[in-house]
Amino acid sequence: MKEEKKKNYGVWYKLDLSAIVYPTLQRKDFSSVYRLSVLLKEPVKPEILQEAVDRVLPRFPTYKAAIRKGLFWRYLEPNQRPGPFVQPDINNPCMPMPFKANNRYLIRFYYYGCRISLEAHHSLGDGTGGMCVLQTVTAEYLRLLGAQIECGGFVLDITKEPEPEELEDAYMRYATSKVRPPRPKERAYRVRGTREPFYTLNIVNGIMPATQVLEAAKRYGATVTEYLNAVLIYALLQNQLSTHHTGLKPVKIAMPVNLRRFFPSKTLRNFITMVYPGIDPRMGEYNFEEIVAQVRGYMRYYLNEKFLRGDITTNAATQRNPFIRVVPLFMKDLVVRQFYMRVQDGNSSAGLTNMGVLQVPESMEPFIERVDICMGQPFSNRTNCAIISFKDILTVNFASSIKETDVERYFFRKLVQEGIPVKIESNRSKS
Amino acid sequence: MSYCVNCGVELEPSLRECPLCNTPVINPRELEKAALSPYPKEKGQVEQVKRKDLAILLSVILAATGLTCGLLNLLVIRASAWSLLIVGGCMVIWMLFVPGIIYHKLSAYLALLLDGLAIGIYLYLITFVTGSDVWFYGLALPIVLWILFLAEISALCIKKLPQTILAAMLYFFSAVGILCLGLEIIIDWYLSEKIQLLWSAIVLTVCVILDITLITLLSRKRLRDEVDRRLHF
Repeated sequence: MKEEKKKNYGVWYKLDLSAIVYPTLQRKDFSSVYRLSVLLKEPVKPEILQEAVDRVLPRFPTYKAAIRKGLFWRYLEPNQRPGPFVQPDINNPCMPMPFKANNRYLIRFYYYGCRISLEAHHSLGDGTGGMCVLQTVTAEYLRLLGAQIECGGFVLDITKEPEPEELEDAYMRYATSKVRPPRPKERAYRVRGTREPFYTLNIVNGIMPATQVLEAAKRYGATVTEYLNAVLIYALLQNQLSTHHTGLKPVKIAMPVNLRRFFPSKTLRNFITMVYPGIDPRMGEYNFEEIVAQVRGYMRYYLNEKFLRGDITTNAATQRNPFIRVVPLFMKDLVVRQFYMRVQDGNSSAGLTNMGVLQVPESMEPFIERVDICMGQPFSNRTNCAIISFKDILTVNFASSIKETDVERYFFRKLVQEGIPVKIESNRSKS
Repeated sequence: MSYCVNCGVELEPSLRECPLCNTPVINPRELEKAALSPYPKEKGQVEQVKRKDLAILLSVILAATGLTCGLLNLLVIRASAWSLLIVGGCMVIWMLFVPGIIYHKLSAYLALLLDGLAIGIYLYLITFVTGSDVWFYGLALPIVLWILFLAEISALCIKKLPQTILAAMLYFFSAVGILCLGLEIIIDWYLSEKIQLLWSAIVLTVCVILDITLITLLSRKRLRDEVDRRLHF
């Protein structure tokens, strides 16, 4: 421990461009926390899992960290306190994560039956970074049980030192566009619902065969992401039509895009940007084919290196501005929170993320049944949708803090109508 | 393996009703089996962060300010009891912030009572500086008590009664009307020992009209839905 303390003396990390926003939104009843789970084929042994966590975490210095306040910005500092400790899973995942609780760790590990779950605060990194931590822990856990698992993909070699590129703020390297396209400002339709008491997170998980979803998407000439985005827009549109006949508003989805696909980077921190595919029902009635065509067109137009570079540059401009940099942190917090609440959050009707097809080392595949992802508590009264697939199982996870399940119902019924068999799991059950 | 008859989705065996539409699952073959739910039953609690350090720091700073000003008043600048104003100010700040910092579950009623008490004591301390306490007993104390009473009632309404935009407006206008009425009675009694309602009656009339409109809206579901739909934000 002393050696580690000595090694980390004077080490600290600036928050990356996205990570700056998440702590400002922190409230007593809200934290930007996401969850990744891996379902194994055998029940999890907690003491071995703890050993795996203890071995793996030093390889991820930005995850074994605590967040602290400076005068102008927050920053991450290596955390030498005991932990994080694995704990039995709970019914209400992605609970708020006060920065000073849990020995100042911003990650939690849970086990339940055959499932290992990782919850991480978004200021540490995005889903890709979190998936690296979870898969490396799972690989080490399986190794401790006697399996031979090679490194590769999301499984990092824990005997090696972390590479500087894994810890970098990749946004700053690529924010080089000469123009700064404006941010979208149009207010979108917002789902209204009855808030659940503190702290409840309702989860509805839909499990379906990935090949059949792909087939359905191909029928419309779309990718799985475009197709599922269109289904969610369709569900939100149906919900809007059933509650608000007059004063329709655009239905837009906030979708994080993994920038590593476009800009080579090994970073384990945040490297995502938001795009907003959507439709405007004020222009006329949309049928499902038209929604898919609209989303497909939007995605193919916007998702390229040039547009995304412009987008990152717009976001980076505020952080680079010397006048903004010298403003004390509490004032930045105030402005950012107001901007998020009034503009950013109102820009979209729901969130949707697709982590895509998960690759694991070949030797690890036989041990894994399924992988789940949960986007965590939405900031306002709405529902967040997260998608991941492993082998032929595609999981669509809805997380919301409202009682109503209308959007989820419209979404899954549409998939059933499209001929995709859906199996539902939920923690809403009263059983 | 059960399917929801309404949604057409397959339901995980531990589910007793469809999570999407709440339709009960009736599968005569699987009634006896109790499958393990994929989600645990235990609910997690958010860890509370101790904020005692902040409370201690604030208490020490306020106590030091009060003490040093008291000594300055006693030993150096002895013209009047001016330090009482600063001591009282420190006490009000302490009462407003520290109980909430130390004790997370402080009830809103108790917090309001403490705030009212602090303001009452501060006003009483001013009587030592002004040299007369007639204004305190005749005007300040009744006004503080009246506002405290209304604040407690409003807190009760907000906590116990339904919370919608319309209901909140109803509580607000009722409170404003009653507050003005009480204020005019107290001021009139203090000035001339005669109660002659004038301005507060006008405010009260406006508030009553608004309240009646709101009650009508609240009692008619169709109207209420229409207003909710048009005014939602």
